[in-house]
Amino acid sequence: MDASRFISSGLIEAYVSGLATSNEVQELERGMTQYPEVAAAVDDCQLDMEQYVTLQSKTPPADLKQRIFHIIINEEVARESGALGADAVTDEFPETKTYVSSTWRLVAAAAIILLLGSLFLNYFFFGQINDYKGRYETLLSTHNSLASESNLYRTRIDQMEHAIDLMKNPSMKTVKMPGTKPFPTALATVYWNQQSKEVFIMVNNLPEPAADKQYQLWAIVDGKPVDMGVFEMSNPHELLQKMKSIDNAEMFAITLEKKGGSAVPTLDQMYVAGKAS
Amino acid sequence: MGAAVTYTESELVLGLKARNEKHFGYLYDHYSPALYGIALKVINDETIAGDVLQEIFLKIWRSIERYDSDKGRLFTWMVNIARNTAIDTLRSKAHKMGQKASELGSNGFASDQLAIHPSVDHLGLVKVVEQLSREQRVIIDLAYYKGCTQEEIAKILDIPLGTVKTRMRNAIIQLRNILKQM
Repeated sequence: MDASRFISSGLIEAYVSGLATSNEVQELERGMTQYPEVAAAVDDCQLDMEQYVTLQSKTPPADLKQRIFHIIINEEVARESGALGADAVTDEFPETKTYVSSTWRLVAAAAIILLLGSLFLNYFFFGQINDYKGRYETLLSTHNSLASESNLYRTRIDQMEHAIDLMKNPSMKTVKMPGTKPFPTALATVYWNQQSKEVFIMVNNLPEPAADKQYQLWAIVDGKPVDMGVFEMSNPHELLQKMKSIDNAEMFAITLEKKGGSAVPTLDQMYVAGKAS
Repeated sequence: MGAAVTYTESELVLGLKARNEKHFGYLYDHYSPALYGIALKVINDETIAGDVLQEIFLKIWRSIERYDSDKGRLFTWMVNIARNTAIDTLRSKAHKMGQKASELGSNGFASDQLAIHPSVDHLGLVKVVEQLSREQRVIIDLAYYKGCTQEEIAKILDIPLGTVKTRMRNAIIQLRNILKQM
């Protein structure tokens, strides 16, 4: 667009009246830098518009000047008093001058004191928490060991009750097996339910076997040994250990055998024996 | 009565940039009627216009560092601050009342927000008002004092959008001719 087109386009009037869109404003401002006569035309139009504005002048309320001056004088006082302290230090870098009022300095100091106090309390309470944590853990482990101990006792009591129930049964026959000659102090008892034919063994006194050995119970039926199973000594709290059932037997005996038991008893390792009737 | 001081515009600008309150007082005495006239034309309410004028002068005082005399005259700069401040207030007030100027129909003149009461306490103005057609006066004032866009003016005056700029041009040419004869 050349200068005369700008002047006749109506763009200048739109610009001066505030009607122009931002694109139109940009377009005209480019024209103003490019053509001095466009710039002059815009200026003339603006002057006339301002004359129109001035025609509509009206005296503002009388107290307004005082109100405005009151505000700006307060602002200036605040600016200057805020600037006093900072001036000497930041003289070299005036653009980084910061104005800090005394109130804000107090607030900042209070904030730092609160922060330090908070840090100390943090440290203090952290120590206390660690102490309580330690005590809590000790209590917890004590409680846990008590609980497991109590469980253990309960199991033992259950086992005992079970054994006593078995022994209380009127059908239960007791076969006492005293020690043989090589092992005079050994003693074991067979509990034999005459109705159900169940057999239980109670160890009264038997030496602890070697790791690769196990005691084996035998029943003597018609003069021949019948395997009644091996049993463990490792659980001394189990009063009665269930063995194989048998209908009738003349005798019971215990021999020490290799782990898992033998088909035939090793007679010189017979610890106890007792007659069933 | 002290001696009447007069400052040139550049002296005034220098004094204002140095935060001289005397210069600011001079500025207020010389320009507050024109700027109050703008606020009143935009707002149509003397109380609000007074508050707006206060805001205008505080903005002038606070942002005088940003005024660049290479880019225009001081009065043009102040008039723009005054118009923008007043129109912002008008728009936010209109917005609060749920009557955006863009929503106004062809009977928008009935609205108090856009009502134009030419204050005829100035002889020159009476002359201008007499010689401008009603439509010419309205189109200038809607754009200049109410900040209406071309679309809003087309809607309010019920004229095609494409003719708004032409009508504005004719109105302003007519206004300038009247002013030249004064």
